[in-house]
Amino acid sequence: MIQIKNISQSYGDFKVLDDITLEIPEGKITALIGANGAGKSTLLGVVSRLLIPSYGQVFIDDEDISLMKSHEVAKKLAILKQTNQHQVRISIRDLVSFGRFPHSKGRLKEEDIQKIDQVIEYMDLKNIEHKYLDQLSGGQRQRAYIAMILAQDTKYVFLDEPLNNLDMKYAIEMMTILQKMVKELHKTVIVVMHDINFAAAFSDYIIAMKDGKIASQGDIDTMMDKEKLDHIFDHDFCIAGVNGRKVCIYYNQENGVGNL
Amino acid sequence: MAKHRRMIIIFTILVFISISLYLFFWMVTTPYQLFPKDPQLKVVMQKAITNIIGRKFDQVIGMTIAAILIASSSLVFQTITENRILTPSLIGFDAVFVTVQTLIVFLFTSSSIFYTNPYLNFVLASGLMIMISLSMYRIILKKNKNHLVFLLLVGMILSTLSRSLASFLQNIMDPMEFQSIVIRTEVTVSNMNTSIIYMSIPFLLIISFLFIKNFKTYDVMTLGESQAIGLGVEYQKKMNYALIYMAIAMSITTALIGPISFLGLITVNASRELLKTHKHLPLFILSSLIAMLMLILGQTIIIETGYMTTVSVWISLVGGIYMIYLLLKENQA
Repeated sequence: MIQIKNISQSYGDFKVLDDITLEIPEGKITALIGANGAGKSTLLGVVSRLLIPSYGQVFIDDEDISLMKSHEVAKKLAILKQTNQHQVRISIRDLVSFGRFPHSKGRLKEEDIQKIDQVIEYMDLKNIEHKYLDQLSGGQRQRAYIAMILAQDTKYVFLDEPLNNLDMKYAIEMMTILQKMVKELHKTVIVVMHDINFAAAFSDYIIAMKDGKIASQGDIDTMMDKEKLDHIFDHDFCIAGVNGRKVCIYYNQENGVGNL
Repeated sequence: MAKHRRMIIIFTILVFISISLYLFFWMVTTPYQLFPKDPQLKVVMQKAITNIIGRKFDQVIGMTIAAILIASSSLVFQTITENRILTPSLIGFDAVFVTVQTLIVFLFTSSSIFYTNPYLNFVLASGLMIMISLSMYRIILKKNKNHLVFLLLVGMILSTLSRSLASFLQNIMDPMEFQSIVIRTEVTVSNMNTSIIYMSIPFLLIISFLFIKNFKTYDVMTLGESQAIGLGVEYQKKMNYALIYMAIAMSITTALIGPISFLGLITVNASRELLKTHKHLPLFILSSLIAMLMLILGQTIIIETGYMTTVSVWISLVGGIYMIYLLLKENQA
């Protein structure tokens, strides 16, 4: 279980995170939403010890993350940030092997190699495993990084805006993979994302942030609420129902008359 | 893997050829008769030959040490700054070393133990280098990793500034003191500081061992800072240590053969092109071999052409053009 207690983070006088206390539900996809600058990525960074908070603690399975050794954290929690580090010549297989680093310290054992093969198979990368990252399409590259995270074999997986630069087809593919990871591999996935409809369609739980605070949280049905979303994004939303799901419309509305 | 091994074998052979050329080629071109009939002359000549070869052998060792240290520190520096163009000497570290030496003489005079004792001098100079490189990383490099051109400008300013500072100090110094600094800082590949060659061997071994031990971690660090931390690398600690090793390596090479700006850039990038890998171990071996080849073969040619120029001039010429090419290529991507 991941517990966040009284986390604050400030740059100078500006408080990016303001006294956040939170518990992340197990075995679900949790979407972390909010406007630009609400502190989503910073919160993700703090929880995954990429950033050291100015105040507060993060507990992972009741252990204080700041007191754990970095490679012990890496066995429990994997994080994928958006990087543009693609000019390095790394093949997919080598990238996936990096996922075993917390376990093997770079010296791959038989079980590590098995795990790598298994993950490459699982992510359907077998026929391109020797291709280099700079030869891949955006979708393939994102799958390769996910494979690395899976090879890391952690209970918790954090992703920072994995849908950026992906077109609709790949974005859906990505979210489906995350759903599979929760269902088949019993992972707990936390995703920072922008598109509220994607969050509603693919996640189980939504945490919304505004101005460095948790604005509201709950399951999809409670969160897809006009009043709540209006407050979170400072925008006029319109919630509609399509095929029994709630969808929100946030453009081309005339005087708030948006009920389709 | 097999490709890596083949490349490394080819370059090892080339290095051996260039070493033997360096040691023995002068015997072919020398105007003197090396094996005279006269028994007395023969003894004198034999002594001269062993003398010359012995001195040349020392120089080969010196160039080898410098080559390995330049290649490894440039390779690791590129990993921790996440780019393929910067090297420690391009950011001005070797110029800083010259200034540090000048500063030592200025503050303690050339007859002080900090200058005359090579060990103490080395400890003091590289200690200062470590402090400077760590604070430089904190202040400039860390925040501007992605601003390559900015960092190149910083390097240019830093090296010009420290060179001017050094020459200013040398100008206001006593002429005798100035002389003793020139001897220490105006070293080149032809005019090597032979007194510290054998002293640097243990340092070379320790530094290379520490680098090699960390290569697997540096491999992960090529993914960038946040991804490496995510995979359990203690990034800050590893980076600080890497900077310390690098500062020591730069102190040794600059003390030994003086500044050579582009050698690290050429060798590391050439081995990346040849091996097409991110793995540090094969890159380290191949770039060390290429650096040795360039220095030793280059020096052989320089000697045979009657010292018309120096190796570092040639390396700067080739390296400068190569860097412009890399910058243009990088900008296109």
